Amino acid sequence: MPEIKVTPLGAGQDVGRSCILVSIGGKNIMLDCGMHMGYNDDRRFPDFSYITQNGRLTDFLDCLIISHFHLDHCGALPYMSEMVGYDGPIYMTHPTKAICPILLEDFRKITVDKKGETNFFTSQMIKDCMKKVIPLNLHQTVQVDDELEIKAYYAGHVLGAAMVHIKVGSESVVYTGDYNMTPDRHLGAAWIDKCRPDILISESTYATTIRDSKRCRERDFLKKVHESIERGGKVLIPVFALGRAQELCILLETFWERMNLKAPIYFSTGLTEKANHYYKLFITWTNQKIRKTFVQRNMFEFKHIKAFDRSYADNPGPMVIMPGYCVQGTIGHKILNGQRKLEMEGRATLDVKLQVEYMSFSAHADAKGIMQLIRMAEPRNMLLVHGEAVKMEFLKGKIEQEFSIDCYMPANGETTTVTTNPSVPVDISLNLLKREMALGGPLPDPKKPRTMHGTLIMKENSLKLVSSEQALKELGLNEHQLRFTCHVQLQDPHSDADTLHRIYTHLKSVLKGYTIQHLPDGTVIVESIVIKVSSSAEDSNTKVLLLSWSYQDEDLGSFLSSLLKKGLPSGIC
Amino acid sequence: KQHYIQRRRRTKWTFARRHQTTWNKHQECSCRAVFERYKDLHVYQLEHPTQVLEWTSGNSVCVAGYSQSKNEILELRLPLKLLADENKSLCAERDFKVSHGGFTDGPVRCLTHIPGTRCAVTNDGLSSDLQVWDLGGEESDVIRRTGSIKGKRSASERGSRIAARPSSAPQVLHGAQISDVQLTELASGETLYKLETDSADPLSSLQFVSDTVFLAGCCNGSVYVADTRTSAPPQLSHSPSSAESVIWWTDAAAGPHPSSRRVIRVSSSGQAVVSDLRNLGGAGCQAQLDVQTPGRCSQVKVSWAPTLDDCISVSGFSGVVQIYNTRLWGAEPQEARPLFEHRGHAVSSQQTDDSVPTFVTSHIWHPERPRTLLSAASDGSVHVWDWVDPNRQGGSPTP
Repeated sequence: MPEIKVTPLGAGQDVGRSCILVSIGGKNIMLDCGMHMGYNDDRRFPDFSYITQNGRLTDFLDCLIISHFHLDHCGALPYMSEMVGYDGPIYMTHPTKAICPILLEDFRKITVDKKGETNFFTSQMIKDCMKKVIPLNLHQTVQVDDELEIKAYYAGHVLGAAMVHIKVGSESVVYTGDYNMTPDRHLGAAWIDKCRPDILISESTYATTIRDSKRCRERDFLKKVHESIERGGKVLIPVFALGRAQELCILLETFWERMNLKAPIYFSTGLTEKANHYYKLFITWTNQKIRKTFVQRNMFEFKHIKAFDRSYADNPGPMVIMPGYCVQGTIGHKILNGQRKLEMEGRATLDVKLQVEYMSFSAHADAKGIMQLIRMAEPRNMLLVHGEAVKMEFLKGKIEQEFSIDCYMPANGETTTVTTNPSVPVDISLNLLKREMALGGPLPDPKKPRTMHGTLIMKENSLKLVSSEQALKELGLNEHQLRFTCHVQLQDPHSDADTLHRIYTHLKSVLKGYTIQHLPDGTVIVESIVIKVSSSAEDSNTKVLLLSWSYQDEDLGSFLSSLLKKGLPSGIC
Repeated sequence: KQHYIQRRRRTKWTFARRHQTTWNKHQECSCRAVFERYKDLHVYQLEHPTQVLEWTSGNSVCVAGYSQSKNEILELRLPLKLLADENKSLCAERDFKVSHGGFTDGPVRCLTHIPGTRCAVTNDGLSSDLQVWDLGGEESDVIRRTGSIKGKRSASERGSRIAARPSSAPQVLHGAQISDVQLTELASGETLYKLETDSADPLSSLQFVSDTVFLAGCCNGSVYVADTRTSAPPQLSHSPSSAESVIWWTDAAAGPHPSSRRVIRVSSSGQAVVSDLRNLGGAGCQAQLDVQTPGRCSQVKVSWAPTLDDCISVSGFSGVVQIYNTRLWGAEPQEARPLFEHRGHAVSSQQTDDSVPTFVTSHIWHPERPRTLLSAASDGSVHVWDWVDPNRQGGSPTP
């Protein structure tokens, strides 16, 4: 049976890193290669030994696809590609290709330089790994090889995030990565056509949540910012420059305009200056509103938001500063986790007197979003990763009920095998179609399926169903006929003709619905099977029945011979 | 040039005057206003609207759909951020968590949780039969139907009201009309008590005011008080109004002191009457509520605030939830102004069909947090809000 196998190496039922193996039509594809940010040892990398115990992965994988630049989806990429070893193609969208190395380098710096770890990838490895990347455009079909093709769809979530459609022959899988079904201020919502994949693999981190509206989150955020500003204070908003920062900038700018606020807002220099450049470069990846206004003015060039200079740090407030994302291990990260005392190297302990607010603006799909995506894509099966099995039985039931499809929730290392039912379109010759239609009634009867006899000819990439005669003619072959004969002995005192008649009556009562004829030349014909009776030379009470049938009536012929071997029932005349 | 400027100014002014209401609405919804009116505000969109909101614990609530065929029952856990008191600022979680879910075969018009258990009882509004559900525990997130209780009527226009006995073994009081009210033991299905009366008035509310004493409010405004321990006839208090087409809804304050046990009755024409439980017919206070569309309502909910003295809340007349302070009411009915109005459902309605305006289907107070309410509307929205008392605005933080 044709089947597709899916194995989450990370994700599965563990939120931390994504790395999914898919085997489809003889091809092996790895989807994402994330790092688990919660571990400091080898557990942070996916377990590649599942693919091969030692040695490079190149021979075992046809391609690797990265959905977006978040470290839990691409953090292990240089490790996998350069330290474990993979030389095959790596696919990702243009923005992901541009931004991935920045995050990877940042992460490497903190881990190696600040934390002093040794078994980690180097800057050169990041560069070498990115050389293997083939960038993808949206909605463009890319042939990985003769049989495997992939296509990227818009996923929302962050700049450049994509959902990927993978097709081999007539089997296909869609992997969503992280996606978002509601547009926000700078990104659109995920979208996919009715591609009807055999499996839709979706993240389900927020599948059992009902998300608070964006307006309320924004209200809370603006309220806190506003309160600080009114008191003359300073607000620090640590956020990754190419993640939610743009969203917050647009929000703050709009709010400043509406409330006629004058306090300065600063962006930290470095990455965030480049951010503007990236957004201009990848303007097609933002939402429609931004693209429309971009003609008049660049929405990423703000009136109230300017670059920060360290000398401003001691300026009296009010002001808002957006430094970058606080990677694990930094002071910022510690403060965000509630630490109120900081031990500084060589200096005394510092008390944290900041008021700390932790707010989430991440864009993920919730239960409603997942149902919406399923409605869009119409998959034949559903597979959920990133969730907890016990807490998702209801969602599983909901999906199975509403869409009548199976829903799978594999754990890490667990392989889900989905049997597919690929439909292969075949042309049928008009003659054959007409002939078969003439045999039965005007309408097909589901209670009486009929076997159709024909020949399937596969020429180049086309499949054709033609009548046997036509096939023989095309192939230049002669038709051979196979005829079976068998003798059955029967004890019967009657004359040959009477015995034959008794056989005829018997068969008529047993084989209702079949054409049975008793011909004057001394034969009984059942469909095309010929039955003759003759007496044995030694004993006239022993009758020898000769049955003869062609190969096409093999089943009926066998049945008749077994039936007649049992003898004729008494009382037949 | 001057003429042109003058003309423009005049147009602006006329525009403002003509659209006074919209302007006010705008102002009230401006950021500053929203900052100050609410301590917390969370807005959610369910896939399907709910008519029921019922606490199953201090931090979880049940909702259920009411479409004609299959519906979902969901148990939602309140966002951690709302409940966190100490580390509120470090808690980023603002979302409802669907902790348990199940499917029903019909609409759910009434849902009651049995205290001290993981059991809930529902009624579909089509008959007076009840469905019994297991809300699920740690091992599974599925809500399953475990049984049913036969009611008196196989067909009923409004369905049954249900009330769970506050303590003791799981028992439910239920009925579609006053003569049908019975107390059924869940485990055995045995009828432990029946209200003896001939009247066939349909019920609009049913609740226990103590462990054995209950109050049944009829749609015509009359109220019955009875004790499940006795078979004595119930006390009857007639309707405050004899008007035929007026429907009444009732709520009783379940206070610890008998003196705080008051009953409020609200009519579809916006009339509100407060009386003492021990003296329902006696002089209480009344008011004419400031409701937008009196007469056009079917799902009015009136509720005493559990911890704020004298405060009541009303919803169902429109997309607004109103809070009134009954201490300001007098013996003679006068127009009352609400202390606070939650207009979120009307203003940010997700409804696509403009001909039917969004209306609030239900609301509940948090049992402990003084000013926290949940409200649900016909467009599927569910709001959780902690309002600021306008009389105490700008003062010290509210407890």
